[in-house]
Parts: sequence; C-alpha cells; structure tokens
Amino acid sequence: MNTCEEYREAIATDPSFDGGSAHLSQCAPCQAFRSEMQALDLKIGRALAINVPELDLPELPEIDASKIAVLPQLRFTTPAWLAVAATVTLAAFIGFRMLGDDLSSGTLAEQIVAHIEHEPYSFRVSDEAVSDQRLARVVPATVATMDHGAGLITYAQTCLINGRDVPHLVIQGERGPVTILLMPEEKVSRAQLFGGDNVTGVILPVGDGSIAIVGRDGERLDEIQERVRNSVTWGT
Amino acid sequence: MPKGPISTVQVIKTSWGGSSRMNSTNTGLGRRRRFDELVGVYHQDMYRYAAWLSRDKAIAEDVVQEALLRAWKSLDALRDAAAAKQWLLTIVRRENARYFERRRLDTVDVDNLTPSQEALLAEAPDEQLDELREAIYGLEDDYREPLVLQVLMGYSTNEIAEQMGLKQGAVLTRLHRARLKLRELVKL
Repeated sequence: MNTCEEYREAIATDPSFDGGSAHLSQCAPCQAFRSEMQALDLKIGRALAINVPELDLPELPEIDASKIAVLPQLRFTTPAWLAVAATVTLAAFIGFRMLGDDLSSGTLAEQIVAHIEHEPYSFRVSDEAVSDQRLARVVPATVATMDHGAGLITYAQTCLINGRDVPHLVIQGERGPVTILLMPEEKVSRAQLFGGDNVTGVILPVGDGSIAIVGRDGERLDEIQERVRNSVTWGT
Repeated sequence: MPKGPISTVQVIKTSWGGSSRMNSTNTGLGRRRRFDELVGVYHQDMYRYAAWLSRDKAIAEDVVQEALLRAWKSLDALRDAAAAKQWLLTIVRRENARYFERRRLDTVDVDNLTPSQEALLAEAPDEQLDELREAIYGLEDDYREPLVLQVLMGYSTNEIAEQMGLKQGAVLTRLHRARLKLRELVKL
C-alpha cells in the first residue's frame, strides 16, 4: 500500500484498518483523512443506535416436545455461568446499596449496576480475546487508547450509560468476569465505592472523566484498578 | 404462553432446576429457556437492524415480531450458539423482504414521511447527529445495509458478504462509497 488513493480507500472501507503504517507515517493528509473517517464512524455508530422499545413477545405456539430432537451437549444449553451471572446481578439490583456517602439514589453507580443486569453475556467466563478490530471499533482513538496492560479483554460493546455511549469491556478477574466502563465525559470528584450482596464496584476519577470497574464480591479491585488506570489514556 | 415483556433476569431464573436427563417436559422448558436467552441478548440488534432496513419503526416492530415467531418455530435448527446472532439477523432480513413483498410498498419519499418513518429520525439528541441520521436514512439500501452490519453489528466484510449474498469486493466498494457519501452529505 503505497499511494494515498489505496490507503484512503482502505480507511473509508473500514476506519479501524491498521495496515499501511509506512505510508501513514509519512503522509500528513492521509493521517488527517484517517482521523476524520474515524470520527465520522463514531458518529455513524451513535446515529444508528436508535432507542429500542421494550420487548413484546408474540404469542408463541406450543411445540410438540415429542418432535423435538434432544441434542446432547448442545453448546448453547450450558447456561450455568448465565445463571450465576443472573443471580449475581439480580441480587445486586435488588440489594443494591451505596457504600459511599455522596451518591444519591438514581446515580451513575445505580445505572451501571442496572446496565450490567441487562447484559448478562458480559458475565461470560471466557479466555477468548475480542479481536483488535472489534476493540478499535468500540474504543476508537478519539475516545481512548488502551494498551494490553489491563488484561485479556473478552467482551467489548458500546453501551448507553447516563445518556452517553461508552465502551463496555470485560476482563477476567480472579473471581470471574470484571466489567470496565470507560466514561471520558463522566467526571467524579473522588473514587466512589458501591456494592450489593454479590458485586462490588468502584468509579475512579481519571482525568476529566471516570472509569467504572465492577466485579463479583471478593474480587481484588484495587489491583485491577491500577492496571486499568495505567492502561487507559483518554483521546483528544 | 403469556404475552408480554420479559426480562433477562426472569429468563435466567427459569434456567434453574434443569436435569441432564431430559424428558419431554423439561425438553420443552429447555427449549423455551434457550429461546428466551437468545431474545434477551439479541433483541436490540434485531430491532435496530429491522428499523434501518425498513426505515420505519412500526414496520420494524412488526418484522421483529414475525422474526421472533419464526425463530421460535425453527429454533432446533440452530446448533451453534456462536452463530445465533447471524441466524437471527438473517431471519429479520428475510421477514423484512417478505413484509415488503406482501405490502408492495412504494419507495420512501424522504420529504414526505409518515409519522412512523419520522419517528426514526426524531430522536437524535443533537443537531449534528440528527443531520447524520437523516443522511443515513437517505442512503440507498445497497449502501445503508452493509454500513449498519459493519458499524452497528460488528460484522466483518466477509460476514456482510455472506449475509447479503454478495462478493466481498462488492461489499468493500459499497462501504467505501457509503462513507464518502455520508462525509459529503454531512460536511464534517
């Protein structure tokens, strides 16, 4: 990839394209084009993420069970982790209590716990990392850059927290999956602890924004906090 | 079967008490549990995909309802959980095509939208996003759909090609042109 035309075509096809670094390093106009397309893509993502109405299931007809083939060891029918995640999140949602003294009800922390409850797949125990392409799409350079110091990222999704799209990442902690929410526009004055019967979390002030980290009760968040804080740099 | 909203938590609560030795009753329960898990995870994607295919929120709701019904009936064909999202979105795509075949709707006139079509554009939180959403709305179907699949659904160009029945080269061209069109339209 040696020409501007080739490079720009690749970037316009996929703004997370990370090839052509030799050309990019020597071409300021292509650097500007890349930044522009990445910013545009972020906005396209926000524009496409329309509000979704509450699910209203249609009337489902009864299925004759005798005609259903039993599929032994079907990969999908192993929801133990899902059941555990549900128990954790449900208990957290119901028994939610703030440990800090400066957060009122309906706060950012409550929204975070409620959000996690709606994304049970983020609690999947996994050793499979999301692709760099996926990560670049969820955490574009305009929002933040992350090195690999935080740990193996097994889940990445853009989510709505407090009316803003934020990257929702998951790494694997000692006690199970740990949720990380990068919130460059949510400023907090100091670290805020929160928790429930089965989860514990913290919202850390980082620059002009904050990072929320939520794990299962007993997770060593202090160690994870340092790793995450050191691996994240807000975009400009 | 009661009609009404479900939550993921309600779904998961039904997951307890399963037995490794299946009989006809718990096979049926397992099937429902599996369906509810799928719906809990992918409902948002299904709706957004349907909305951007049809460009109409009311039609999107109808399409998703039909797609859910079809998914329920053919759930046993889904053997691999990793393929669930693509399976569901394919059903949405087919139901959307069926809907338009049935209704033989006219093409959308962006300057003369119905309330349900306008609703898709009416919720942007800021002016710039509003402008961009309108620009996406106005894109030809051939350009809008691969963009939705790539940006919103996280599909690779190979997966988009498979979903749309295109060659990968055609997908690359459409994505490239779609972004350049949007860039021109919104004049960032």
